[in-house]
Amino acid sequence: MAHLHIQNLQAGYGKKLILDKINLTVEQGEMIALLGPSGCGKTTLLNALCGFVPVSGGEIFAGSRSVSQLPAEKRNITMVFQSYALWPHMTVAQNIGYGLKVQKAKRAEINRRVSELLSIVKLEGLEDEKVTALSGGQRQRVALARALAIRPDVLVLDEPLSNLDAKVRLSVRHEIKALQKQLGFTSLIVTHDQEEALVMADRIAVLNQGKIEQIGTPEEIYHHPSTPFVADFMGAENHIKWPTHDDAFRLNTSNPAAELDLYFRSENAVLATPQAASKDDLNAGLIIHGHVEQSVFFGNNYQISVRCGKHTIQADHDQNLSENTPVTLSVPNNALHAFDKEGKLVAHQKNHAVSVKSMRMNHVC
Amino acid sequence: MCWLLEVNMRQTTSPNLLKHRLWLIVPAALMVGIFFLYPLGFSLYSAITLDDGGFTLSHLNKAFDLYSKDILFTIIIVLVSVAILAVLSITIAALITLSPFRSLTKTLGFLYRLPLFIPFIVTAQMMRTFLAKNGLMNNAFVASGLLTPMDTVSFLGWSGIIITFVWKQLAFSTLLISGAMAALDESQIRAARNLGASRLSILFQIILPQITSTLGVAMVLSIVTMMSVLSVPLMIGTGSPTMMTADMAFRINSYGDYHVANALGLVSYCICAGLAWFYLRQNLKEKGAN
Ligand SMILES: Nc1ncnc2c1ncn2[C@@H]1O[C@H](COP(=O)(O)OP(=O)(O)OP(=O)(O)O)[C@@H](O)[C@H]1O
Ligand SMILES: [Mg+2]
Repeated sequence: MAHLHIQNLQAGYGKKLILDKINLTVEQGEMIALLGPSGCGKTTLLNALCGFVPVSGGEIFAGSRSVSQLPAEKRNITMVFQSYALWPHMTVAQNIGYGLKVQKAKRAEINRRVSELLSIVKLEGLEDEKVTALSGGQRQRVALARALAIRPDVLVLDEPLSNLDAKVRLSVRHEIKALQKQLGFTSLIVTHDQEEALVMADRIAVLNQGKIEQIGTPEEIYHHPSTPFVADFMGAENHIKWPTHDDAFRLNTSNPAAELDLYFRSENAVLATPQAASKDDLNAGLIIHGHVEQSVFFGNNYQISVRCGKHTIQADHDQNLSENTPVTLSVPNNALHAFDKEGKLVAHQKNHAVSVKSMRMNHVC
Repeated sequence: MCWLLEVNMRQTTSPNLLKHRLWLIVPAALMVGIFFLYPLGFSLYSAITLDDGGFTLSHLNKAFDLYSKDILFTIIIVLVSVAILAVLSITIAALITLSPFRSLTKTLGFLYRLPLFIPFIVTAQMMRTFLAKNGLMNNAFVASGLLTPMDTVSFLGWSGIIITFVWKQLAFSTLLISGAMAALDESQIRAARNLGASRLSILFQIILPQITSTLGVAMVLSIVTMMSVLSVPLMIGTGSPTMMTADMAFRINSYGDYHVANALGLVSYCICAGLAWFYLRQNLKEKGAN
């Protein structure tokens, strides 16, 4: 295993440029999740790393080797495919051992490595089974074992869990993470599921339209998104353009005239009814008065849609509320993500220190 | 009680229904019967009966006496052609699927289909003018100074027949094979590549094992086609030995001897059936192994 270093990478299909100036370093033994909406170029990035899509600019280093101009078979970067891409005419053992066979390893050596991998991915006893006779989760593990068998410098996984049903996905997710910790492989995993990224990755890179918007630890990405896109994508779906010119909104700020884009999560909007009216929280960055429009049961809580002027705000609450109940929402300062007109993060009094730190991290990456 | 009644009712209604269904397939069955089964049956019958209807093996004996050399010649020609055909069409299909040069494969993908639209007799005529001693090919060699007119050889004869068969059938079998290759999941090939497999090992270890049944179908169908072509041995062959189709035509045209012609037909039918059986058995074995 080696670290992966991507420098100003440009790639696309024909004349259509999909990836533009990608810079990313995956440290040795680290797992980075590539997170982004459909069509943003995640698969294209992995294909460019593996050599399936030609690189039109920039460099890719696996360890100290520059691999960007090497053909796919010389890169020693292996992929776990979304469709598993197992070879149906081979047994489990033949699938896993194929990479070693191609390298002309001795038969005994192949057998040893295959049984080692089978026990790592917990498929002992299935070596002579045809892969077509396996369940989805088992196939996924064969695909993983096959990709690991040749000890690649870097492992890339393209939405490895998206073909599994919800329950299996949770367990395989943990297995992959545990394996990654145990074996310490350098890996890039693509997902469009933010929860999956938060749970599995050491760091997350959020991709949007072929560009990296932000790189950071799951906590940084979650709590301190550095662009409006990341904030929105990571679940801060409440969006308010400041100033609202509406008395129902009050923002605690030193510069009330500034034009801002405010984002926050529904779970951070503290909802209070007039009966349980609390005194205005001094910590609150944003206070909103409105009326309940809709209340939807979500299992552990209710998601309340609150109407205020032309905005509809989502807030979590532990009780069901009837329509038109007047309510007050307050969002604490440190849960409020404010961006100026250029989309730059505006530091708030409270979270100032932290956000500056997260921004500096970005520059390092 | 109730279900007994129901069973009874079904018994009374189902034969009626069945009759209706039978009527529906009658036209199709008649067509097949009149235009296919009857002539086939009749030709088989004629191969093993005397004019008065008595059973005999004399026609078959005569066919073997007179034409055993031609039967062997036919089998060898067909097998050699089909072997060359398999190699060439796999090569072309593999180039189209695996080659990194996209524009080249596009041209190739267009070119190889052309013979599909040219009838056998036109192909034979074309090959005749191309392969003869003073044909286009030799003329080109002479003009380019590679050969003197003395050194040229005619390719008419067995080699010409093989060349023509391969040339004509190549399009068809490549079409089937490259179709089967294209139907394989692209990521299967990518998976092999990023484990370090060369294109050649991908072809032999990943692609071919998955398309053997298509390859078999293409080859069996090509054999049947080659066995039934008359124009090519007549126009390109040198007369002796020749292929069985030419002998059949000769028996009928020169002697009006339908019995021996049909006996030869029976032989070629058995050769095709034998090959088909061999292919089916291989196929079933593989399925069983799966
Ligand atoms: N073979 C191709 N030829 C041309 N354009 C392509 C090809 N494959 C993908 N694209 C384009 O490249 C862009 C990025 O595609 P890509 O497959 O990388 O998206 P993705 O981030 O993996 O999306 P998803 O989450 O849906 O898998 C898309 O706009 C798509 O239209
Ligand atoms: Mg994708």
